[in-house]
Amino acid sequence: MKNILVYVEAAEGKAKNVGLEILSAAKTAAEGGEVIAAVIGKDVAEAAKQAIAFGADKAVVVDGADYEVYNTDVYANALAELVKKYAPKAVFVGATADGKDLAPKTAAKFGSGVVTNVTGVAVDGDKIVYTSPVYAGGILNDDVCESEIEFALLRSGAFKKAEPDEAKAGEVIAEAIACPADAIKTKITDVVKEISETVNLEEADIIVAGGRGVGSAENFSILKELADALGGVIGATRAPIEAGWISRAYQIGQSGKSVAPKLYIACGISGATQHVAGITGADYIVAINKDEDAAIFDIANVGIVGNLHEVVPVLTAEVKKLKG
Amino acid sequence: MAYILDDDGRALVADVRNFCEKEVKEQCKEYDVSGEWPKEIYDKAIELGYQMLEVPEEYGGLGIPGETVLAMYEEMAWADAGFAVTMAASNLALKPVLIAGSEEQKQKCCDIVINGGLGAFGLTEPNAGSDPGAGKTTAVRDGDEYVLNGRKCFITNAPVADFYIITALTDKTKGLKGMSAFIIYKDTPGLSTTNHENKMGIRTSITSDVVLEDCRIPADQILGAEGTGFATAMKTLDLARMFVGGLAVGIAQRALDEGIAYTKTRQQFGRPVAKNQGLQFKMADMAIQIECARQLVSHAHKLYELGLPYGKEAAMAKCYAGDMAVQVCLDGIQLFGGYGYSREYPVEKLLRDAKIFQIFEGSNEIQRVVISNHLLGKF
Amino acid sequence: MEILVCVKQVPDADVEVKLNASGAPDIEKIAPVINPFDAYALEMAARFKEANGGAVTVMCIGGDNVKDTMKNCLAVGADEAYIINDVVEGADAAATSEIIAAAVAKLEETRGKKFDVICCGKESTDYACGVVSQLLSEKLGLGEVVDVIGFEPKDSVLSVKKETEEGYNMVEIGTPCVLGIIKPDYEPRYPTMKSKMAARKKEIPVVAVDAAPVSAVKTVKIYEPAKKTAGVKIKEETNEESALKAFAMLVDAKVL
Repeated sequence: MKNILVYVEAAEGKAKNVGLEILSAAKTAAEGGEVIAAVIGKDVAEAAKQAIAFGADKAVVVDGADYEVYNTDVYANALAELVKKYAPKAVFVGATADGKDLAPKTAAKFGSGVVTNVTGVAVDGDKIVYTSPVYAGGILNDDVCESEIEFALLRSGAFKKAEPDEAKAGEVIAEAIACPADAIKTKITDVVKEISETVNLEEADIIVAGGRGVGSAENFSILKELADALGGVIGATRAPIEAGWISRAYQIGQSGKSVAPKLYIACGISGATQHVAGITGADYIVAINKDEDAAIFDIANVGIVGNLHEVVPVLTAEVKKLKG
Repeated sequence: MAYILDDDGRALVADVRNFCEKEVKEQCKEYDVSGEWPKEIYDKAIELGYQMLEVPEEYGGLGIPGETVLAMYEEMAWADAGFAVTMAASNLALKPVLIAGSEEQKQKCCDIVINGGLGAFGLTEPNAGSDPGAGKTTAVRDGDEYVLNGRKCFITNAPVADFYIITALTDKTKGLKGMSAFIIYKDTPGLSTTNHENKMGIRTSITSDVVLEDCRIPADQILGAEGTGFATAMKTLDLARMFVGGLAVGIAQRALDEGIAYTKTRQQFGRPVAKNQGLQFKMADMAIQIECARQLVSHAHKLYELGLPYGKEAAMAKCYAGDMAVQVCLDGIQLFGGYGYSREYPVEKLLRDAKIFQIFEGSNEIQRVVISNHLLGKF
Repeated sequence: MEILVCVKQVPDADVEVKLNASGAPDIEKIAPVINPFDAYALEMAARFKEANGGAVTVMCIGGDNVKDTMKNCLAVGADEAYIINDVVEGADAAATSEIIAAAVAKLEETRGKKFDVICCGKESTDYACGVVSQLLSEKLGLGEVVDVIGFEPKDSVLSVKKETEEGYNMVEIGTPCVLGIIKPDYEPRYPTMKSKMAARKKEIPVVAVDAAPVSAVKTVKIYEPAKKTAGVKIKEETNEESALKAFAMLVDAKVL
């Protein structure tokens, strides 16, 4: 039995999916111990409520203007204070951009080990066993962490959210923590939002993704039409992003986002391990590629050998007919 | 790999490989179709110093061992033969200067190359290919100057060169012994180039005529003494042959590499076609031929470095490598089946690129003349 | 400014890694290369130096096997290179950062100069932990910024451009500091023949820091993931027929 502190990251007051997903992993690891959600931000009461509904036994909230924008030192200080006070055996953090910064920064304050890229959590005796892909997913490692407090970064899409129980009771504790001024080593002078569209790949049930084979920025509109017809979103591999056809927010894979849709349609994607590493959570994969020998076909449930520019519009038309 | 390189050599070759993989190999496909000279690719390569591999250390070069240079050229040719030919042809123009030039001439031409310039070597004329004695270009002494008139053809780098080595008759009565070699710098009045040739292969290299119309140059731009031009040209070609052979090896190696990759993924009858022993043996034979050619090149070069006679071996290396490259590229196409005949796939280009290696820098028939002269002597 | 770039050598990530007969990652035959993020870090540091003056030092934990990688660094912008030969088998990220922290102190002592900026690639392509720069900054008691795509001097501090999910933040940080660098909008330079030949001739000092960190994270099992079995491959006469057939299968499978 262990108590686990789970950092549930919030965005615009709401819990990010990954935070809710990893509550499930914490439940497994806790073996009846307490799962405590830690929510840090400004106006994040709603996120704390969500954490309770999705499985946290209680939630501690650090809420205030100081936490409006993520600042490494300020957030790490707050999380460290919570760790000190609630003395968990392990701290789980979702592997978002900020989470990946926060976890090691906080862990170092306790001389703790950090397990990263975790896609599986199990218990063996008194140990939590973390599964992580290495070498771009070609190999898996099962790791244990022997420091007094364990820190783990868990990947999005790797764990299934629990069914929310809105009626579930759970204590929400407000903690007022101020970061000492001399601990703040960075100052954020400007926050620039370049990407206007909100891309919620991690939460999507259906993703239509394009690779090098899409051929141009314009051609992504064919994919978009199919995604729209299906009620899904579009995504991309690294090649189209580097070619400037689509913005970075859409990147799926090792250096992009990990996704776990019910249906993943890979268009003109060769299936490089770096990309495949990001779609291991997909339930059903359809691949369209004109190269019969493309590696993507090895992992697809249905593979279509053909020209995506002709195949995709037919699919779109059929989906529209079906959904009438 | 016949070239036995030290750590430094291997590191240099790895750099060339990396650059050519990323900046040359794929980019050149488009230029192969258009026939345009890919200036931006050359600008990048020249910025890195790829044009100055053969500049001797005493004239500001980098002192890269010759065997390493051969291996580097092979990598360039592996990525794109036209690219490699451009670099090698520039160094071909440097060779007669280093063979017969004065210290001042050597330094000046090396400086041009070090600073990113290219050279062009002009011996061939419309009616004087294998028979350079039939050349009609003349150089007439006029006070402190020579006045050149004539036309050179199929001159690699001509439209983009910064200096030209041109052979011309200073004494028409003496035939080959009346031939002299000259350095002409670009923008010299009277020197012009024509439209570039629309070639079958090595289309990323640029080739044109050099036209000389009352082209006046200072008399001190002659290389060596009057009448030594033919001897200088022959020494140049002897030396160049092993480099040309080395490039042909690069093309052939690419054909084999493409064939191996393709036959391992191409499925027929439910398994990769590389599982067929018929194709396995073909690839083994290709590898044997490639390695033979490479070792001929390497051996000729070793003889040269040791100061031993190497003319026969250099001719063998060029001749065999050229013939071998054409055959291996044909085999490469066969490995690809129908796709090999398609321009969508890389191997048909390799064949077009390889063919010139049986023709230029002394046709393979001339190489056989050279070799048989060595064998038979005067009788 | 004195900039230190921490470099790791990794097997070329374009080659898929499998397990060998003894159950360890089979990386023997894969060409070792500089970790790509570290190459970006070095390029960024070199550009900073060229614009603002200073010197770029690189260091790498390893033995003789990393010498070539270090020489390559010297050919593309680094002024000095050091090999830290405290190789600890199975070191986790925290242990690695401890060795680097000791190396920083040792190099500062040897060179008689403090580093102003310590750059790390955000993560390595082999284990992809992405936590070393943050752990290092805490060990050194310095501030840090990760996901850095650019930095330049601004008055007495550094102005750092940090990539975020929606765009970027501009962050000010005093020196000395640690930066975790990701791919900027440029590529690392190629070595020139001249810089390469010069780099080949340079000596690379090997330094021991006698760090003996203990790794908390221990790997208890290494294995290959279960292969997802390939499904059906459709290749009809026309693309339209293929699409229709696939669509029917999706409907049958109740995916749609």
